Amino acid sequence: MKRILCLYLILTSWIWASDQIPAAPQSQPILIKGGILHTVSHGVMDGYDLLFEKGKITRIDKNIPTTNEMEIISASGKHLYPGLIAGISALGLVEISAVRATIDYDEVGDMTPEVRANVSYNPDSESIPVTRSNGVLFVNVVPRGGLIPGQSSLMMMDGWTWEDATLHHPTAMHINWPDMSIDLNPKAKVKVSEQEAQRRQRVKDLDDLLDQVRRYEMSQKGTSKDAAHDLRMEALIPYVNGEKPFFIHAWESRQIEAAVRWSKKQQLKIVIVGGGDAGELTGLLKESQIPVIIEGTLRLPRRRNSNYSESYSLPARLYEAGVDFCISTDGSGFAAAQVRDLPNHAAMAAAFGLPLEVALRSITLSAAEILGVGDRIGSLDVGKEASLFISSEDILEITSIVEQAFIHGTKTDMSDRHKNLYKKYQEKYKQLENIKD
Amino acid sequence: MKKSILLLIISKVLLGQTEPLTDLMHVNPRVFVLKNAVVHVEPGQTLPSATVAIRDGLIVAVGSSIDIPGDAAIVDMKGDHIYAGFIDAWADVEPKDLKPSPRSHWIDLVHPEWVASDSYTPDDKTVKERKKLGFTHIHAGLNKGIFRGQTSLIDLDESASITTSTVSQSLDFYTRERGEDGYPGALLGTIAVMRQTLLDADWYEKSQSIYARHPDKNEQPKEDLALATLAMARSKAIPFLFRTAHETAAQRAIDISHEFDLNLWLLGSGYEYRRLTDIAQAKPFIILPLNFPGKPDVTQPQRADQYITEQLKHWDMAPDNARKLVNSGVDIAFTSNGLQDLKQFRKNLSLAIERGLSETAALAALTTTPSKHFGLVKTHGKIKAGYQANFVVVRGSYFDDSNPVQSVWIRGVKHDIDINFNDEFAGEWKFSLDKMQGELTIKSSPYHTAGKIKLDTTTISLNHLKLDGKQISWSAELPKTETPQMIRFQGNWDNGMLSGVAVFADGQEHEWTASSRTADDAETEAPKATTSKLKLSFPEGAFGFEQLPQQPASLFINDATLWTSGPQGIIQNCDMLIEKGKIKKIGKNLTSSRGAQVIEADGKYVTPGLIDSHSHTAGASINEGSQSITSEVRIQDVLDPDDISIYRELAGGLTTIQVLHGSANTIGGQNSVIKLRWGSNAQDLIMKRAPQGLKFALGENVKQSNWGDKNVTRYPQTRMGVEQVLRDAFTRARDYKSNLDNYAKKSKWRKTLTPPRRDLELDPLVEVLEGTRRVHVHSYRQDEILMMLRVAENFGFTVTNMEHVLEGYKVADQMARHGAGAATFSDWWAYKFEVYDAIPYNAVLMQNAGVLVSFKSDSDELARRMNLEAAKGIKYGGMTEIEALNTVTINPARQLKIDKWVGSLEVGKDADFVIWSHHPLSTQAKCEQTWVDGKLYFSLGQNAELLAQDKQIRSDIIQKILKTKDEDRPGASPDPGNHKYQQPYRDDQAWEGGVR
Repeated sequence: MKRILCLYLILTSWIWASDQIPAAPQSQPILIKGGILHTVSHGVMDGYDLLFEKGKITRIDKNIPTTNEMEIISASGKHLYPGLIAGISALGLVEISAVRATIDYDEVGDMTPEVRANVSYNPDSESIPVTRSNGVLFVNVVPRGGLIPGQSSLMMMDGWTWEDATLHHPTAMHINWPDMSIDLNPKAKVKVSEQEAQRRQRVKDLDDLLDQVRRYEMSQKGTSKDAAHDLRMEALIPYVNGEKPFFIHAWESRQIEAAVRWSKKQQLKIVIVGGGDAGELTGLLKESQIPVIIEGTLRLPRRRNSNYSESYSLPARLYEAGVDFCISTDGSGFAAAQVRDLPNHAAMAAAFGLPLEVALRSITLSAAEILGVGDRIGSLDVGKEASLFISSEDILEITSIVEQAFIHGTKTDMSDRHKNLYKKYQEKYKQLENIKD
Repeated sequence: MKKSILLLIISKVLLGQTEPLTDLMHVNPRVFVLKNAVVHVEPGQTLPSATVAIRDGLIVAVGSSIDIPGDAAIVDMKGDHIYAGFIDAWADVEPKDLKPSPRSHWIDLVHPEWVASDSYTPDDKTVKERKKLGFTHIHAGLNKGIFRGQTSLIDLDESASITTSTVSQSLDFYTRERGEDGYPGALLGTIAVMRQTLLDADWYEKSQSIYARHPDKNEQPKEDLALATLAMARSKAIPFLFRTAHETAAQRAIDISHEFDLNLWLLGSGYEYRRLTDIAQAKPFIILPLNFPGKPDVTQPQRADQYITEQLKHWDMAPDNARKLVNSGVDIAFTSNGLQDLKQFRKNLSLAIERGLSETAALAALTTTPSKHFGLVKTHGKIKAGYQANFVVVRGSYFDDSNPVQSVWIRGVKHDIDINFNDEFAGEWKFSLDKMQGELTIKSSPYHTAGKIKLDTTTISLNHLKLDGKQISWSAELPKTETPQMIRFQGNWDNGMLSGVAVFADGQEHEWTASSRTADDAETEAPKATTSKLKLSFPEGAFGFEQLPQQPASLFINDATLWTSGPQGIIQNCDMLIEKGKIKKIGKNLTSSRGAQVIEADGKYVTPGLIDSHSHTAGASINEGSQSITSEVRIQDVLDPDDISIYRELAGGLTTIQVLHGSANTIGGQNSVIKLRWGSNAQDLIMKRAPQGLKFALGENVKQSNWGDKNVTRYPQTRMGVEQVLRDAFTRARDYKSNLDNYAKKSKWRKTLTPPRRDLELDPLVEVLEGTRRVHVHSYRQDEILMMLRVAENFGFTVTNMEHVLEGYKVADQMARHGAGAATFSDWWAYKFEVYDAIPYNAVLMQNAGVLVSFKSDSDELARRMNLEAAKGIKYGGMTEIEALNTVTINPARQLKIDKWVGSLEVGKDADFVIWSHHPLSTQAKCEQTWVDGKLYFSLGQNAELLAQDKQIRSDIIQKILKTKDEDRPGASPDPGNHKYQQPYRDDQAWEGGVR
């Protein structure tokens, strides 16, 4: 029964849809009646109504009185969630990862702090409707490659232009922490002691860079009016000052440890991204109050002798140790088309020890907090963005179907390339049947 | 200089000289009597004080009272031990001046005609080092290629006399360097080349002999020296020696030797103990290196993490390998090959002996065993009358590595060894100079020499310390001299004492002496090594089983929710009785048989073991991508039973997988359907009942679209060309088959015409045409799918499965009509251009059109959660729950035609099943137990134990490593980055690992 209903919903939305059309700003209040509200911030509220106006949630209550100007949507027995948030992705910066012309996430140079992701975010990417079809309504898009690939931007999964779609920019300056491992092959071309020296140098290079940024800032404040400008230095200033966070990509324990110690010494705000070995360093992370963006739980264990479930249970380990974290898909070009699997990553964490409500929080409010927008999105609360969706069942189950999403209060076109092709070829087989008849 | 000229001439005379003299006749009588020595006649037989008489290179008499020839030079050898000359059973030789000729094989890596002794040039340094170890002969082999050529036994005398030029044919599982062009390009192809070449040799011989008789009726076969040499080797039963890098390679060599009935030798790896039973059963003669790994760098915990457990274990277990092989009845010979420093040979041999290898066995491995296998049983390896006078003379037992080899004798000629006395100097000495008394300490290793003198409380280190033969010298500033000054010391070792002069600044000489105090110093007594206490696991490393899972005679699952994937559908509160690995009964309220192992499964869900119809797990080599058609290669040849992914997939409820060749070329290779029997060897993984299959590929990968701008010349570069490659291949196969048939039919032809060549590439294509080999086609776009169906229809066969088939939904009606199944990704798309139209509704659309559909992984990661892939069939298009689970159980079983045995829970089928904590399509379902053939291969509890056990083992070994001194375990530490378990994450998208 449920399935028929949702199929109906999908079909009706197709009738007008060809390519997906970005929605107009919310013009009338929308009341969603009687759903199971997964507020994230204060538990599950069954049978409540939710009202939003001009893009903001204005009321959550039982039996909110209706008015004529309201659009009323019944969600009885359905689940209501705040839009899911992917903390790291190349979505919109790449269309087809094997086709070079469609790749826009890796600028030339080891250090390109000046580049910002949102300007090359393609709002017409086919991946965007596909992604929001599964409830992922916000994606932090991130440049890749080199030591400092640039600045990331938090994007809404709807909008005519990249400017429309930008919710928050910049979210962070990204650093790919240098490799801290040592090649212990006795035939290695570089001796271990030399490798250790190189490793020290790589961290020193970062120190030197920060030093240079600070000197640059001083020089700009100086009396000389004709001080030359450097876009790279300019871009780094607010991060070096600790006003904005560095997102440091670090997987191996030595990288994570080095990054944390470096940030303390330099008094920086940082977030660890990747964090494969973060479970080994929970004490340090908690004490330093450094959150972790886990790049996917659905990945292989890092070492041959690691437990098969190592990546599944990493979120639970961090949770139990009191480390702040969120769960994302990974930032590779390949994964850009698979961001819709985000709830499955959280669900696997729940199967391996993370409480279900924490699993949900890890792809909503926790992500919002780490991305610096915890006051705007991530939960169903009065005053927050009306970016939410109605699901046929628990979104942490694969079989759930997202029936309708709203972004900033606007009703999102729920069709996508996949549904359209599905419909097109259903038509083919219908025609064939007719011929048979 | 003089001496070496003299010896050179002697050996020439001795060999029977054919060339004229250049000056006058030299005569150097070679009649000796060696008296009063401890003579090791052969392993296990020692004469405590005996005499050996030799004449002109041969032993004439041995015994305690023999007639002394009047013309003999008598040498008193009291205190010396005499052994038969040792054979270093392997030495690598670089091919020299060997160029391809018109008679060479078409593959540059196949040159069995090469002879090692032709390329051998003695290198003074290594010859000297080998003689110092007691070696008088080496077994030399070339080090290039796959068929590397003939090995030779060569003497270590100055002229490098050849004892035997052809001892064996040596082979290597060689693969080209990355980026190097040419066939074969991977291990898959290497093994195919071995098999095809051995077949070709037989064919070549037959063709040549028929042609010789009927030159009027046949075209002359092309002359091929490689094939001729191999045919000769086969007819003379020359041994085939395979060089192995690990125990799995040994097993591959064994498989080939069985197929071609070869006399199998192995150049061993040191890892044989891991699959001892399998290897011992094949009874190969193994040439064993003693290159035990040095200490892993575990000084920092994070560095220790870089080593996998099996590397740590091997450090401790490697010295036991020789003993284990000998005790299993395997013939071994030792080689110094592979040692970073030849000096480690005796040290490691002593370690093997401390670990329980008997001295008799060790001596046999240096003398009689190699001589037996090398065909020298009557001339080499013993000290008996009539044997060649090849000796090793040691001051004391050879097996105490502190006793130096004094000389070796080769063909009755003595070669003195320059003895380095460094070891004699090393230790602590009581030192006295004038009235000063103190302690002198000298440390000496091959790499470093240092010393110090302690006088009362002052310690002075020695400057310019130099050890030269029996002489020692240094300089030091001693505190008690009147004026501070450097004193030069010089002295000699003599019978355990040091003495010499100290030259003061004023030129005056003072005497100094030092006597050893090692004897009364208990501290220096090193603890004796004992055999490793570690237990072997299968496979070696974390999560291996110390004991393979046992099959309970009877097993009873009580009160589960059974998802049968069979006609019975889903049954609540259901029992299942299993006997001898087969499902015996399914139903409610069954009674358990007596003594059955009972599993209480109330609240649990039981499904059939999941099946992945497209995997590359356990493939040590995936793509032989060097040619467009490589149907001769077989995944079964390269299975790696130790791939940790097997275990990880069991932990996700997977029990059977189809391991496929990759998609780098139009016709890839032969598949292997395996059950995930973790711990078994490669052969036992294979599900032998499963029909054979062959992998095809279409589209971007085979036309190299994403390989970069350098790869634009191989045919095909378009989908048009792909079709023609297929048509050409099947046309050739058809012609080939009719040739074979005609030849077989006509007995007259068989007598007078050269036979058609058996072609391993075309054989499987013939099987496809005949319908006995199943066809799996990597494909994406609708046009190529349809093209493949039409080609198959034209040639009269059916495509079993389209793989990936992400646009299958566009031509599902055609697939259904043809009868092709579909093994598809659930929701992957957009990773390359040909999958831009991929949609997750693909499975449902195909299924609704009547196509048999399975979800598959093509990824070691995805394969661990195939139940969740199945759930996507419900999400995208609304399959029923039963239909959804079927996509990973009975459907793939039917596609692989193994549904008679697996894929559903039905009476009579294999007991392959999974116990889940939740509804199996829920994200909260955890696989709690996985059973294969009625044996428990995974359970959460067992996993926790294995994990804890691994932690314990690692911790124990690390403790032991930290307690071990560097000098007690010299040698190169293992390379943590390079072990056979390390495999790239694999999927169609990951270009690093090639095309899948």
